[in-house]
Amino acid sequence: MNGQIQEAGHVFQIRWIPKYTFVERLLHWVNTAIFIPLVVTGLVLYLDALKPLAQGEAGQWMRLVHRLVAILFIAVPVIYGILQPRRLWMHLKEFAFEKEDLGWLKNAFGYYVWGKHDAMPPQGRFNTGEKINAIVMIISWVLFVVSGLIMWYGKGIVSAELFRWMVVVHDLTMIVSVCMLIVHLFLAVAHPLMWAALVSMRFGVTSATYAAEHHAKWYYGPKRAMELYEAKKRNASHSA
Amino acid sequence: MARKAMLIDESKCTACRGCQVACKQWNELTGWEYSKTVNTGSYENPPNLTPQTWTRIRFNEYESRQGFRWLFLKEGCMHCGEAACVDVCPTKALKKQADGRVTVELDLCNGCGYCSQFCPFGIPRLDTAGGVIMSKGKTSKCTFCQDRTDNGLTPSCVKTCPAQALYWGDRGQMIAAGKKRVETLKTRGFSAANLYGEAAVGGLGRLYVLVEKPETYGLPADPQYPAMAMMWQNVVQPLGKIAIGGTVLGTFLAWLIIRRNIKMEEVE
Repeated sequence: MNGQIQEAGHVFQIRWIPKYTFVERLLHWVNTAIFIPLVVTGLVLYLDALKPLAQGEAGQWMRLVHRLVAILFIAVPVIYGILQPRRLWMHLKEFAFEKEDLGWLKNAFGYYVWGKHDAMPPQGRFNTGEKINAIVMIISWVLFVVSGLIMWYGKGIVSAELFRWMVVVHDLTMIVSVCMLIVHLFLAVAHPLMWAALVSMRFGVTSATYAAEHHAKWYYGPKRAMELYEAKKRNASHSA
Repeated sequence: MARKAMLIDESKCTACRGCQVACKQWNELTGWEYSKTVNTGSYENPPNLTPQTWTRIRFNEYESRQGFRWLFLKEGCMHCGEAACVDVCPTKALKKQADGRVTVELDLCNGCGYCSQFCPFGIPRLDTAGGVIMSKGKTSKCTFCQDRTDNGLTPSCVKTCPAQALYWGDRGQMIAAGKKRVETLKTRGFSAANLYGEAAVGGLGRLYVLVEKPETYGLPADPQYPAMAMMWQNVVQPLGKIAIGGTVLGTFLAWLIIRRNIKMEEVE
């Protein structure tokens, strides 16, 4: 796919390279449409302002919606694994941490808040932040499903002590993943440097320039990416 | 307002189960739906507390050197001074009244069942109506006959007890009466006699005069306010609100700063 934009005599050519499959994008948006109602129907038990929605019949409806949507929430990763097992496996391998991730973490604040890009070490198809997001999502999926099913079906079957633990685990998992969701939404929708994220999740492609800058290890390969990074650091120290 | 309490003198109970019947009659609880009469080899019936059985005489079978003996225990909500069920209830259906009674407002209850799972005595029962998907049931337990006690009457079980094993009144007086009875029992040879519930879990609203150790009756020797309720309500939930609120604020501030630092014309 090639896009051409004519603007005041300049010609911008954007070369698009594929990043996500159709199934991945579809399931991403399905998961969005699942997770937000799950958060809303869960928060009625948590926030005092929403308390009227938790009481009596309204609360029973909230629980019914929460449970029915939870079944879909359980299903989404399973469907992905059935439809595209190789892509799933590839992703899981890409979420592993490497030594460059430490450098990314050190410089992330300067980049995302102040816009300083130079010190960011080259990243693979997923940067450290995306890896953290993915790992948190995977772990919280497991914790949500286990604790949720025990609370749903285990009442009176499991010990009261285990049930109590599951309530606390479900709550903690919710807190961590809602914080993650807020950061995720901010970066995807509001952050000016991350314009390519929403494009790639809608159309499955990302700009080659963006990929070269943000995902150099993926774009150039690890060796070439490190050479370019070292060269850039040398130039920076010479000119300084 | 002075705390009220029920004193149950198990040394006088004859297990006539008049209290069970009076409870069902006053609170309009059906007999058969959740507690069909089943022969389990004991006179005890029904076999457990249910959403329709808020109090019940447990027939503990006890054998000592003197031979076989029943130790009767009138089960029901303990109306704890520090009621975990009230703290974990997300709908405020469970309430701690000024006089210490723990009451249920059924219109507010959504049947989440946290009360039944966080109760240190395992007392509240959840109605299973609607099954595991719809879950239309609500919680239920002894409320010390809220509508009677609000109007200065005694709970219906106390009113009906023909053995005069049940007393209702100011908690201080009930404790004094209980202690006096324990002393009397000790002089009569019940050396293990004791008063149960004076200090446990913030002081129970249901006090027992027992002739044997609490464990022999199947009561927890040292009941505790559940640690996980404390952890959940006082640590996880407040910290969670700070974490979520902080994340919203943090990303908003980051957005304010980054949009000044970035000229979109230069972004590729």
